[in-house]
Amino acid sequence: MKALIQEFDRNGERWLLLVFYAFVVTVIFVEVIRRFVFQYSSIWGEETARYAFIYLVWIGAAAAVKDRAHIRIDIIFKFLPPMGVAILYLFGDIVTLAFACAALYWSFESVETSLRFGAATHGLRINQAWFTFAVPFGFSLILIRLVQSIRRDISDIRAGRAPFSGRKLFG
Amino acid sequence: MYNLYQQPAVAFEFGWDVGGPLLLIVALLVLGVPMWVAMGIGVIAMLHFTEVLPLHLLGESLFEGMDAFALIAVPLFILTGDVLVRTGLSNKLLDIAEATAGSFRSGFGSSTVLGCGFFSCISGSDAAGCAALGRMTINRLTNAGYPRSYAAALVASGSCTGILIPPSIAYIVIGLILGISASTLFVAAIVPGVIVLISIMVANVLVNRFRGYENSTQKFSIKHWLKTVWNGRYALLVPIIILGGIYSGIFTPTEAAAVAVVLIITIGLIQGTLKLSDFPEMLVSSAKVNGVILPTVALSLPLAEALGALSVPQYFIEQVLSVTENYNYILLLIIGILIIAGCVMEAVPNIVLIAPVLYPLSQQIGMDHVHFCILMVTSLGIGFITPPIGLNLFVISGVTGESILNVAKYVFPYVFAMLCVAILIAFVPSISLVLLGR
Repeated sequence: MKALIQEFDRNGERWLLLVFYAFVVTVIFVEVIRRFVFQYSSIWGEETARYAFIYLVWIGAAAAVKDRAHIRIDIIFKFLPPMGVAILYLFGDIVTLAFACAALYWSFESVETSLRFGAATHGLRINQAWFTFAVPFGFSLILIRLVQSIRRDISDIRAGRAPFSGRKLFG
Repeated sequence: MYNLYQQPAVAFEFGWDVGGPLLLIVALLVLGVPMWVAMGIGVIAMLHFTEVLPLHLLGESLFEGMDAFALIAVPLFILTGDVLVRTGLSNKLLDIAEATAGSFRSGFGSSTVLGCGFFSCISGSDAAGCAALGRMTINRLTNAGYPRSYAAALVASGSCTGILIPPSIAYIVIGLILGISASTLFVAAIVPGVIVLISIMVANVLVNRFRGYENSTQKFSIKHWLKTVWNGRYALLVPIIILGGIYSGIFTPTEAAAVAVVLIITIGLIQGTLKLSDFPEMLVSSAKVNGVILPTVALSLPLAEALGALSVPQYFIEQVLSVTENYNYILLLIIGILIIAGCVMEAVPNIVLIAPVLYPLSQQIGMDHVHFCILMVTSLGIGFITPPIGLNLFVISGVTGESILNVAKYVFPYVFAMLCVAILIAFVPSISLVLLGR
């Protein structure tokens, strides 16, 4: 169990992203082929691709939080001592945490609404909640990554180490 | 689908309930809070103080704002660029560019820019292309005699065409916001995109004339050219399928991107340049880029919606029209706003936020909607290479290790060149409309 949690901590988003990305590409490609060869499209193809894409977006956002890769104007970081940079990173994480809590709260509300009214999707006719869950799921991951990042930053500040400045997104 | 143009119930009066949240966004941005979070906090504050829309709108828009088939093209076109680099097909494209333009006097520079243009025909984003092209070309350019910082500035500028030449994420997003088909915009964007590419080449040639960085001694030979093109035939096949498919109406942009990804992967696997073990790294890094771009879209949508419900766009139009109704002045104003916006924020969130404000103004003065989109994306494209937050400058400085300030020093001729093109596009609508036959 512990090994599983560790593995998820290390690579959780990676595997999820891999699955959803591969799914999106494959489904859309197959739909195109289907349309050409059989002159017919499935009712579920476009829909599932769209929903897998929403999972992809929010899990990707969590992965970017883990790598500290989100776009920010970091021009003033260049003029600050490492301690100042560390404090600004911490501040950014805390603001993100506050926002993620709010987003989690409101997005759960829409999942709850789909559950209560049993709203079904157009193609698959299954409960919409399976898909609206993408947003709270992504933000839960974001919250976990933020708590980890805040703990790391605080221990870095305490030990006087330079802050983690993020993995490069490109290159 | 996006409800950005509802008729407001009340006339807008500027007050702290709107200005405060906007100031808060700016303050958070300056303090280095991630962009999407700053906008999200701003939305919450604005909805809370103005009570113009219910707060749970935010939770819904995080889902519904992303629920669009057209948006799936964004991760797919990011992925096309990535697989192109990993399979080495991008090198083939650069070889073709060099065989084509290498014999001119500023041959290395021009062929690098041309290579950026080829790359843009396949990839939809520009930062990924910028990183990849930077890694491939900087050493070749420095060997040809260019200073490293200058070479970095050249590649950063050439990569701007990534969002100007179709397929492009920027056109997909603006099409979605304004309800124009991305395919139409892709057709219209070809001529303006090529003009930007040429203007960057010309700027390099002029700088090179004065500074004398390089003097190509390569001779053009048709035999060598044909051989290079034949070697790169698979790489050339990809833009033909993407653009041909979109233009002939066989594919939507999203489908074209998926077909291109599968095609390049297949070529890579057959030629042995791509291994199955490369897949996790490839897909995950593209997914992260996607996870960085799309949250900014997701959160600028409710912000734009709230501003629309508060009738900020109408207020803005009235203010502008009360000062001047002159077509030319208003056009210059639009360009000015877009360039300043491009300097302080990324193109994609800018499009979502500003398009709903400027678009009605452009309609007031009788601009064609496609013309407006092209002008908007081109002007915002300049923002990729303007300090302080030109994304391409950051990316190229990360790849080459040159400091941003050094690169920024050399970037001004290109900013100027692109500015001239933006003004040209603004005042000559037929550049944007010629391929649409209007």
